[in-house]
Amino acid sequence: MSKLKKWIREDSSLFALFLLFLAVAIGLRLAVGKSMYTPERMLLMGYQVPEFGLIALGMTFSFLLGGIDLSLVANANLSGILGAYVLSGAWFTGMPAQAVVFIGICTALFAAVAGGLLNGIMIAKFSVPPMIATLATMTFYNGIAMALTGGGSLTGFPEIFIRFGTARLAGIPVIFLIFIVVTLILGLILAKTGLGRKIYLYGENPIATRFSAIGNERLIILVFCLNGLLAGLSGLTIISRVTTAKVGYGDAYLVQAMLVAIIGGVSPSGGRGKISGVMIAIATIQVLSSAFTIWQLSPYNRKLIWGFVLIFVIFVNHLIGIRSRRKEKRAAQN
Amino acid sequence: MKRKGFINRTEGFLIGIIFLYCAAVTIVNPAFLSFETLFDILRSSAVTMIMAAGIMVVIISGGIDVSFTAVALFGAYVTTKILTEAQAPWIDHLGIAFLCAVTMGVLWGLFNAVLVHKLKLPAFIITLGTQNLIFGIMTTFIGSKTYGAAAIPKAFSRFASAQIFQIETGTGKVGVSCFVIPMILVLALTWFIMYKTKMGRSIFALGNSESAARRIGIDPFRVRLFVYAYMGALAGVAGIVYVSQVKCMYPNALVGDELSVIAAAVIGGTKLSGGQGKLLGAFLGVMIVHLLNNTLIFLGLSSSWNNFFVGALMIVSVSVTAYQERIKNRRHFIFTE
Repeated sequence: MSKLKKWIREDSSLFALFLLFLAVAIGLRLAVGKSMYTPERMLLMGYQVPEFGLIALGMTFSFLLGGIDLSLVANANLSGILGAYVLSGAWFTGMPAQAVVFIGICTALFAAVAGGLLNGIMIAKFSVPPMIATLATMTFYNGIAMALTGGGSLTGFPEIFIRFGTARLAGIPVIFLIFIVVTLILGLILAKTGLGRKIYLYGENPIATRFSAIGNERLIILVFCLNGLLAGLSGLTIISRVTTAKVGYGDAYLVQAMLVAIIGGVSPSGGRGKISGVMIAIATIQVLSSAFTIWQLSPYNRKLIWGFVLIFVIFVNHLIGIRSRRKEKRAAQN
Repeated sequence: MKRKGFINRTEGFLIGIIFLYCAAVTIVNPAFLSFETLFDILRSSAVTMIMAAGIMVVIISGGIDVSFTAVALFGAYVTTKILTEAQAPWIDHLGIAFLCAVTMGVLWGLFNAVLVHKLKLPAFIITLGTQNLIFGIMTTFIGSKTYGAAAIPKAFSRFASAQIFQIETGTGKVGVSCFVIPMILVLALTWFIMYKTKMGRSIFALGNSESAARRIGIDPFRVRLFVYAYMGALAGVAGIVYVSQVKCMYPNALVGDELSVIAAAVIGGTKLSGGQGKLLGAFLGVMIVHLLNNTLIFLGLSSSWNNFFVGALMIVSVSVTAYQERIKNRRHFIFTE
């Protein structure tokens, strides 16, 4: 019990976030009724979380560096589509299904990392501001995907690949388990390794890290490659779950990913934020989004709500920031 | 800011690209080189050009706005609704339409400015929020029905078919659309504000360094209010031109095009970290994007290839601009990261 108290005192914002999640989850249970948390609904959430959660994790990393990655969704789509070309047998014919699946997954992940690498090189080696670099690559990746497919969708993946997307282990979707493992690894990297420390330091003061023998350029390229990998994993989970690949899937994820990162306490100016906060935020947003599905809200209404929530959360964070700064000032005066 | 002649290196580069591209297209398809194509590009680029002038001003001030397409749509949609549903015939007038859309644009712009200034977070994130908010408010509370070609106000259809002058060509008469008028007015006004007024100089100063601007007595809040309101006003104008151009009003039009407008401004050499940008560059950027839009078909490529070329051009152009800046900074031991 004392451990819990200590945790609450040390990490009050995380605790507040957890309370917010509980309030939203319980509030929705009361508002929607029994159909909110049926086993089927929970399972559906388990299938939906990974594709969008991976994007949100990528956004978190770019925020931690004080940048932003707008190309995540475009990269996920492009790598998904490239993977889909292999998987549907359009590029490699006459091979056993297992080999096709293996090559397909490798193609998707390789393309995604290459996409991240391009971002990293533009930002690190050419000093392009992250926002404009990823804006350019976002247009470019969408352009490649559109030029390849002409706007059509790709289907006809091997049976084992689709089965993997819907597979369950002890009742839990396998893609969800993979997502949890990825999150744990990323959380450990941020909290326990030198790389994580460097990311926080860079986000706090990039000029200081430049003169502290922390290879700024290598660090940025590495993190953006990691972002690419996350986008690639997201792209694979999307095509395995939806069983089609198409340009423009999941465009709303970009706003939601920023929302998640900001609710989760990650500062867009860099250096602050934890994976645990982001996890709680992902859960909150997913519960909300499921409720929207039950209420059958139109995409228009959803946009209104997401936009409002984003502004509102930024506003509340701003107020909290003013209060804590005032408190610090008072403490300094005493 | 250094001013060496009328055309700088980026603009020379863009003009070169335009000439090479036109030459290539003409060789493949001689039908391309005609007044019809030229007038067509002018007509179709009016909306982008008006919005690009606005976003250039915002970017020079060191900010960014991705909500302007939602503002344009909001203004255009609400104006269309008012003009069609009002019983009085005198209200169906182009002047009233522009006034109405511009007023709404300015109000949303001021809203953006207050949020961006007070919340002290990247303007991109805030305006992405307001984009969703404005679009959501419009579709949820005002309406989401489509106005077809028959339903849009008469003033718009008259505006769309009006032409400044016509010339005789071998195949018949072709004319320059009246859409060019608001476009030229907007460009002239923007040029005047940026280079001939104190506000324009303040915008450049704020974009270069906020703390320096503050010290010489510029109020950043006032400048931001002006900049975002100006963007909103231009978005209102662009919205009306857009409805007239496509002759119908979808509730989901325009939104999503903001990135290609920003792309055009950026290709034209507007520096995204603020403080630098030229109208001629933005103009050429818009021209290139629309040239690709309208003429890929002459090369036998479908319009699906559009973003591919725009994206590639953007990657090259921002990399080159940023790299020149980096070399210059490193020489003076300035490290931005």
